[in-house]
Amino acid sequence: MSSNWNIERRTFLRGAAGALVPLPFLNLMERSAAATANQAGETKPPLRFVTLFKPNGVHPPSWNINGGTENDFRMSPLMAPFAKHKDDLLILDNMGDFGFSSHSNSTRRFLAGHHTNTKSASVDQIIADKIGGGTTHRSLELTTEGLFTNQIGCSYISYDSHGNPIPRESDPQLVFDRLFRNPMRDPKRRQETISLLDRVADDARSLQRKAGSEDQDTLDEYFTAVRETEQRLQNMTPATGTAGVDFSTLKRPEGCATLNEQVDAMLDILAMALWTDSTRCVSYMLGNSNSRMIFDFLGIKQQHHYLSHFFRNFSRSNIEALLKISLWHMEKFDYLLTKLKSYKDQNGPLLDHCVVLFGSGMGHSDNHTAQRIPIILAGKGGGMLKTGRYLRFAENQELSRLHLTLLQKFGVETDSYANTSSPLSGLDGGAFEEYQERPFETWVKSGGGKITVQGRLRMSDNLDEAKVFYVEVKDKAPVRVEVNFGDFHGFNLAYHVGTPITLTGNSSEKNGQILITKVTELKSLFGKSKPGKADG
Amino acid sequence: MRCFLYIPVLHAAFLASLLGFEKNVRPIIEHSCIKCHGGEKVKGKVDFSKILTQTDADAHFDLWETVESVLEAGEMPPEDEPPLSKADQKAIITWYRQRLEAPVEALPGDFRPRRLSGQEYRNTLRSLFGFDLKVAVAKAEQTVAGEESLVLKLLPTDPPGASGFVNDTRGARLSSVILDEYSHLSDAALETLFSKIKRETAAEFSRARAETLIRSFVPRAMRRPVPGEQVDKMIAALDGKDGEALIAATKFELKAVLMSPAFLYRGILMEGTPGKQQPVDPFELAERLSYFLWEDMPDEELAKAAANGSLSSPEALAVQVERMLLSPKARSLAESFGVQWLGLESLDELLQSDPIRLHALKTQPVDFLHYLFTEDRPVMEIIDSKITFVNQGTSGFYGKDRQRMARYAPTKGIERQTTPNQRLTLVDAEGRGGILTMPGILTMNEGPIQRGTWMLRQILGEQLGDPPADTPPIEPSPRGLNLSFRERFEIHRSNVTCARCHEKIDPLGFAFEAYDKNGQYLLASDRRKGNKETPPINASGKLPSGETFEDFAQLKSIFLTSQRETIVRNIVVRTLSYALCRKLERRDQPTVETITKNLCENNGTWKSLFIQIAGSLPFRETIIETATTTHEQ
Repeated sequence: MSSNWNIERRTFLRGAAGALVPLPFLNLMERSAAATANQAGETKPPLRFVTLFKPNGVHPPSWNINGGTENDFRMSPLMAPFAKHKDDLLILDNMGDFGFSSHSNSTRRFLAGHHTNTKSASVDQIIADKIGGGTTHRSLELTTEGLFTNQIGCSYISYDSHGNPIPRESDPQLVFDRLFRNPMRDPKRRQETISLLDRVADDARSLQRKAGSEDQDTLDEYFTAVRETEQRLQNMTPATGTAGVDFSTLKRPEGCATLNEQVDAMLDILAMALWTDSTRCVSYMLGNSNSRMIFDFLGIKQQHHYLSHFFRNFSRSNIEALLKISLWHMEKFDYLLTKLKSYKDQNGPLLDHCVVLFGSGMGHSDNHTAQRIPIILAGKGGGMLKTGRYLRFAENQELSRLHLTLLQKFGVETDSYANTSSPLSGLDGGAFEEYQERPFETWVKSGGGKITVQGRLRMSDNLDEAKVFYVEVKDKAPVRVEVNFGDFHGFNLAYHVGTPITLTGNSSEKNGQILITKVTELKSLFGKSKPGKADG
Repeated sequence: MRCFLYIPVLHAAFLASLLGFEKNVRPIIEHSCIKCHGGEKVKGKVDFSKILTQTDADAHFDLWETVESVLEAGEMPPEDEPPLSKADQKAIITWYRQRLEAPVEALPGDFRPRRLSGQEYRNTLRSLFGFDLKVAVAKAEQTVAGEESLVLKLLPTDPPGASGFVNDTRGARLSSVILDEYSHLSDAALETLFSKIKRETAAEFSRARAETLIRSFVPRAMRRPVPGEQVDKMIAALDGKDGEALIAATKFELKAVLMSPAFLYRGILMEGTPGKQQPVDPFELAERLSYFLWEDMPDEELAKAAANGSLSSPEALAVQVERMLLSPKARSLAESFGVQWLGLESLDELLQSDPIRLHALKTQPVDFLHYLFTEDRPVMEIIDSKITFVNQGTSGFYGKDRQRMARYAPTKGIERQTTPNQRLTLVDAEGRGGILTMPGILTMNEGPIQRGTWMLRQILGEQLGDPPADTPPIEPSPRGLNLSFRERFEIHRSNVTCARCHEKIDPLGFAFEAYDKNGQYLLASDRRKGNKETPPINASGKLPSGETFEDFAQLKSIFLTSQRETIVRNIVVRTLSYALCRKLERRDQPTVETITKNLCENNGTWKSLFIQIAGSLPFRETIIETATTTHEQ
């Protein structure tokens, strides 16, 4: 696993090494608030919408929350990196669509609701139109990698009003420069540029006197451009950006040696862009939908997409590699949330006025099911969301319903989006139809070196030991299952994760912990179909 | 393009034509043409108002070619204006023909500095600093990064100049926006340079280090020796500074160089005497050569040759050309000159949703051109060659020949990917050989009219105007008659206005009828299958010269024989124009004719063409105009 993901290596303030809040409070929010005062005289800070896309679906046994209800749930092993933000999260479960999904279709689905919605804008763009206001950049579309050549559709989540893909930027330095290095907005750089232009014009004039025979038109052209630029710079009012932040105090990120550095730098810039109110809407892809990236900085040699087909390319080391990559994605989500919380003003942390949509466009990364797609909302969106909850819907909910709700909550007047005209209820704390699990009993029986346990199977919270499972028993310590590869694979334990089973095997006891070391029989309580089928 | 005969003998007709314009032609223009073409309005972009003298007329020589053909076709003046008398018509045409055949004195072009194109700037910066400014993007299998050069990403795309090439930057003036980007890119390059210096040396950046850096950097950036006092002044600016202040001051001095016209423009420091024709100075010559063959600044060896005066002989130039063609940098000839000449950029837009196919269709002609350019192949092999370059995306077009390709085995988890081209000798493949039937060329030109127009313009070098605004539409088939596209075009061609161009375009375009829209060649067995809905394929035609052909193979034979000189001349015109970074003028015609004749007689090669251009008058010499005004800013 990446050992340094949570070390604050980067700071944008010169001389403020390691500070989580690199900027002093600059009345930024007050200024914005005044600008957005509503008719009742109330002032509200601006809302922001951020999306973070996770490539290649998930490994469901480690991602899904086992059991649990709206206010009483245990976060899954893969959620561990951002478990500390539980109060700021609204975890949605049973989001998805009918059947299976290609990578390309799932990418379109993530922000456009449905793969057939190819003629209209993705939800982030419609929201950007609504909330972008007078910000310098209406929206940012970011990514980490290039275009996937086989299916271009795997490379875009943001689409314009004609449904055409919007080009994305991958270079943190380039994005930083666009946002913060415009000399027009920075008095110090403006002065630097003016003195440089004076100097080159001087040099060029001596050249002209000396040479005499040069084509005058050419030098005229040059002098005209220099003069125009100087005038433009000199005529600038000494204003400092939209939000009163002196951009010259922001440090440009250095060239990135690894993907990890590239993504951290981009997330830093993303948070900084929101904080300075340079933009209010950002979409960021951690990779193409079927990303082939090789996570060499995590010590992994195979490409992500290959590993994500963890069932057909099954081996214990492949699973471990996949989980390392998945954890890295979760760490990046945590990094973003931590950043957004670190910026505070009198209205509270920046995250409170954001809606961050994190997730993917497909569920199971091996068989590409469109059910139980990982979707988490973070941030209260200025009160539009009631966070700290887990909403597992009774039935599969299409992503377009979530999108319609977000549109309405961001103030877009519409009663339909993509293929739906019924919004998703429950996000603001209102009623929703919760998933009801069939009740089952849990118990442990033992004798003669054998043990039979009935309860819900789950993976170990520690993903470094992905071969260890537990069977939950009410009011008792869970039974640990630690078996050899033959049993692990033969009984396909991972497949039954999250569901109630009856498991019989040889047991031993270590420090009061019951341990199954060999499985002799496994029965699914509710007759879950054979491994490899749709709901695996 | 017309055949400009270079007859170095003065005769009576020539003497008449020398005076003819002002006396015989200008009055007719003023009476009958100027109202619509330069007086009250300028129709069809034809403006006679500034063409007052014989010299003006010579400077717009292409225009008279058009004038002649519209007069001959009776298209001008239009029907609602009084017609020209027969005598007036004859006066213009006679003047034009005499002038056309009149000898022209070979002269070099006027000297004019020129801003580096985006590609030239990118390459020059790379050679100067030793690293490329790239856009950060994570790499993965089957993924293309898009524009990876920060320079090309940030600079506005250069429009092609009058020559059709983007290195002809006279039309693309320096603007405040471009200056901003230069400033930004200079900062980016210097920042990278200093972070490398910091990483590579443990010691603090010293004053001595700064001095060494400036002394080596400045002459390389200026592409010629720089007076000592100029550099001394820059170094003096570092006095009393150390640490971060020294770094900042050094950056400032270097940036002043990168922002100076001497760096941004080519030729601004050329030494010469105003008011006369003269050889360009050796550093200018070195620069001309390296930007022609490499699209980049001269390397150390070329700079050395310029400094020690050994570039002056044509033999020495030839040695340099041979050496430079062996460098990987010579690939720019195919990638810039070739791509721009043949218009291969149009594939980018067309196939943007399928980068693998785009890569296959575009790299095939580029690799082929690179082979012709650098391996001393005859220029006419562009039309017909036994060698081609094929990868997984194009192998399907090459029948049995593909079996001789090295096996392709995709690695685990790869469905489809870009693969490098392999050199393939054509033996069995039908309908291939040469660039004209490459699938990329046929894909980017859809249908017979686009295909014909492209051939006429890019290969035969004909200057076709745009269709007139009042072009009648191609009529749909009359009810009851199931006319083919070809038959409907024959009706269109019966209109005299349309016929002027379409009698040239259509036979060339319809010759490709046996190739489908993807460039797949329909074998004879498929072609004969005709029925009511789809008649059998007819690729035959008749050229304006009267020559006829049954299919594309026969047309290709015509190209290789009777049209050979026309094609070679076009190749010379295009290449010379790229090398000189400007549209050719009448005074370049003798150079064009000499080289064309030489190549035709000796089955000349591309290398020989490049060497002849490097040794030619317009390449080696110039005329420096007298500065008319003194500018004081």
